[in-house]
Amino acid sequence: MPKDHSTLLGATRGLLWLMLALVAAAFLFVMAAAGALVVIWPDIAVGVKDSEVFIDPATIRPPLFALLGILAMVLAVAVFILRKLQALVASASSDPFIPANAARLRHIGWALVAVQLLALPLGSIARSIAVPTSQFADMGGIDLNGILSILLAFVLAAVFERGAAMRDELEGTV
Amino acid sequence: MAIVVKLDDLLHAKRMTLTDLSDRIGITLANLSILKTGKAKAMRFSTLEAICNELECQPGDLLVFEADS
Repeated sequence: MPKDHSTLLGATRGLLWLMLALVAAAFLFVMAAAGALVVIWPDIAVGVKDSEVFIDPATIRPPLFALLGILAMVLAVAVFILRKLQALVASASSDPFIPANAARLRHIGWALVAVQLLALPLGSIARSIAVPTSQFADMGGIDLNGILSILLAFVLAAVFERGAAMRDELEGTV
Repeated sequence: MAIVVKLDDLLHAKRMTLTDLSDRIGITLANLSILKTGKAKAMRFSTLEAICNELECQPGDLLVFEADS
């Protein structure tokens, strides 16, 4: 394998670990936020009222819990995707065209579908509680890049499946 | 499998072992073994030519079609 590819793979490996660390940090933040909503809600309510981001600060506690729950699910799916990508990158340096990688890419595709589906209630809850001009109301919803990523993952899965079949055939050639 | 490889019979007729054939035609013993046991999925013309040349046979002597019953 050319040297520039191994450098790229090494950089990707490092980036994936960094992203896993960021997701872990985000998960801790979500858990801390959920805990804060339970423990110090009166203080948060005062801050929320002053921020003028939410339409009705008095009723946002349950929707905020729902948002945090959905965010936790999105982060769990992100961990799943990153772990699959790590396995893909690990095999890329030696033997990438194996049926397991096609399955991994298909799993990533379905996980991305799950993220898009979770983004829909996320967006609608955010829009229902935040003033339309706020950044908070822009959260979630349908994302064209996300849909393109889903298509790319499924197309790549098909390519890897074909590649694995071709390699299998080549290995059986005498 | 419908295509049967008669390499064993040809080797026996020539009083030759698989190792001898491997040494003479430069194809690994592992690959020839795959061919002999019918586990090969495809065969190169170069392999066929080398075997036919060494065993003085025709492709039809090596590969025989037997319909699945």
